[in-house]
Amino acid sequence: MSSSPMECAAKVTPRPLANSIRGLSDRGIAWLFVAPTIFLLLAINIFPLIWTIYLSFTNFRANRIGREVKFIGLRNYERILSDPDIWQTMQATAHFLLWTLFFQVLIGFTLAWLINRKFKGNDMWTTIIVLPMMLSPAVVGNFWKFLYHPQTGLFNYVVQFFTGVDSSSFSMIGDVSLAPWAIVIVDTWMWTPFVMLICLAGLRSIPDYLYEAASVDRASKWRQFWTITIPMVLPFLMLAVLFRGIENFKMFDLVVQLTGGGPGSITELTSINLKREAFEKWRTGYASAYAVILFVTVFGLASIYVKALNKVKER
Amino acid sequence: MAEVVLENLSKSFGDTVGVEDISMRIPDGAFVVILGPTGAGKTTTLRLIAGLEAPDQGDIFINGQSVLALNPAQRDVTVVFQQYSLYPHLSVRENLAFPLRSPLLKTPQEEIDRKIKEVAEVLHIEHKLDNKAVELSGGEMQRVAIGRALVREPNIYLMDEPLSSLDAKLRAELRIELKRIHQSLGATLLYVTHDQIEAMSMATHIGVLQNGKLVQFGSPREIYNNPVSQYVAERLGSPRINVLPADLFGNAPKGAKTIGLRTEHIVLGRGVKGRVNRVEHLGDHTRLHMSLAGNDLIVVMDPHNPVSRGDTLAISPENPIYFDANGIRVL
Repeated sequence: MSSSPMECAAKVTPRPLANSIRGLSDRGIAWLFVAPTIFLLLAINIFPLIWTIYLSFTNFRANRIGREVKFIGLRNYERILSDPDIWQTMQATAHFLLWTLFFQVLIGFTLAWLINRKFKGNDMWTTIIVLPMMLSPAVVGNFWKFLYHPQTGLFNYVVQFFTGVDSSSFSMIGDVSLAPWAIVIVDTWMWTPFVMLICLAGLRSIPDYLYEAASVDRASKWRQFWTITIPMVLPFLMLAVLFRGIENFKMFDLVVQLTGGGPGSITELTSINLKREAFEKWRTGYASAYAVILFVTVFGLASIYVKALNKVKER
Repeated sequence: MAEVVLENLSKSFGDTVGVEDISMRIPDGAFVVILGPTGAGKTTTLRLIAGLEAPDQGDIFINGQSVLALNPAQRDVTVVFQQYSLYPHLSVRENLAFPLRSPLLKTPQEEIDRKIKEVAEVLHIEHKLDNKAVELSGGEMQRVAIGRALVREPNIYLMDEPLSSLDAKLRAELRIELKRIHQSLGATLLYVTHDQIEAMSMATHIGVLQNGKLVQFGSPREIYNNPVSQYVAERLGSPRINVLPADLFGNAPKGAKTIGLRTEHIVLGRGVKGRVNRVEHLGDHTRLHMSLAGNDLIVVMDPHNPVSRGDTLAISPENPIYFDANGIRVL
């Protein structure tokens, strides 16, 4: 007599495991599967977060392990919020964040709108446009440093070609007024394709028949753009802004390679500044408080933004 | 309202023929129904008139003027698409107002409100006016789509199977409503469907398409009584015309291969005997599914007849329609 599939499965399952599983409830087996993930999450996310919050109330320095750790209450937070250098860093981050988002949305959407049109070589152009985003930020930072070089860099020559300004008369990463724009340009060059791809997904989700209905309803191209294209792409666009906003708030590698936070500390973004406090000055407690402030800021802003995004989606 | 003339219109999509050499005159104020199975070219004809496709050959005239160079907005037509085609992020009210807000019309707000109210009442969607389009059921969406066409007074209303997604009750109501709107507005309508009840109940003219070609154009009665081919005969009539070998009853004209018998062409009680296989009591009438010398046919009887499954009935034709081997009518 042939045995059932269940019996076959029981035969090939090693006996001790079969015995131990037999005694478990469905809930128990579910926990068994989820436990490794929960353990990892606790170990590498939740515990460090709680530990950082704890350290932020102390004067702990990671380079002086044996020293007594004192609980100092909110003093770290007071110092950070009253430190003009940190506010300067915040300002640099805000400048970087807002302008990169502005240019990436503007250029990304325009490129998506152009690529969405049916023309020959459409796929080839899409591939070329998305290339920068596939490179490593460290590599991008390095080669833009060469491009920005006042004597040998291509960027300065291009500026000279279009504006007539002498190429050796300015240095994008050496000039206090130009360096913040230098990092904006590079980040925009690298990440605009990402915004373009998300916008393209949005544009391609709009069915053609809506435009046909609108053209029959005598809506001009301009009205179709504002009443169909923009409202229907907006949730996608907002999602792209959320991703890029969070990424740029914690921007580190590209800027470190490009300017190292200089000249002076004019392009020292919060994450670079934080790393300096934590691993160059070894003010671990202070840096922990700094990290908590940044975390709360990003989390708060992102939460408000996600609520707005959901409202737009519901509209 | 306008007269629309199609002149030798052809359109292909690669190797696929959409429509081929269609000529048709849609008189001012006519309700023209285009009948045909899927792929016959019905929607393509409608899209060509709307200006959503450009013909490969031929011309389209609205009120005597060629409109080939005009875009859909300039042609002043409305289209109800088969798929609902509502603006999903707008409310029902905004969807209905959309065509009226065209800068070409400059409709005052009071006028827009009045028209929306009127159309919403006709289509029973007054209570849904402030809902988002995506929150509606399929039937409601299609009613809004029809409403968006009705708020305007265009040269011609083009409708692509607008009632196909509605339930039977609403479909019957809207058939009457569309016919009423047509009569009261004197509107010119081109209506695409494969539902012969819609065609017969609403049309002033019917055009039958076969593989992109217009095979017959005329009044519903004319198409029903005098079809030019078996294909046309099968498009109208419920139950569908019975097609049997021409020599089954004798006296077939020369060249006839098949005999077409609509239920009113069948006289019971004399002639060739057949067996009743199934009896369908449909309330106001009864359908008998019979086999006659190995051929299936359907006969309609009054609802209270005593015939039951297994009975034998004699049948003979009266004023039948004959077709040749190519399905062309033999007179």
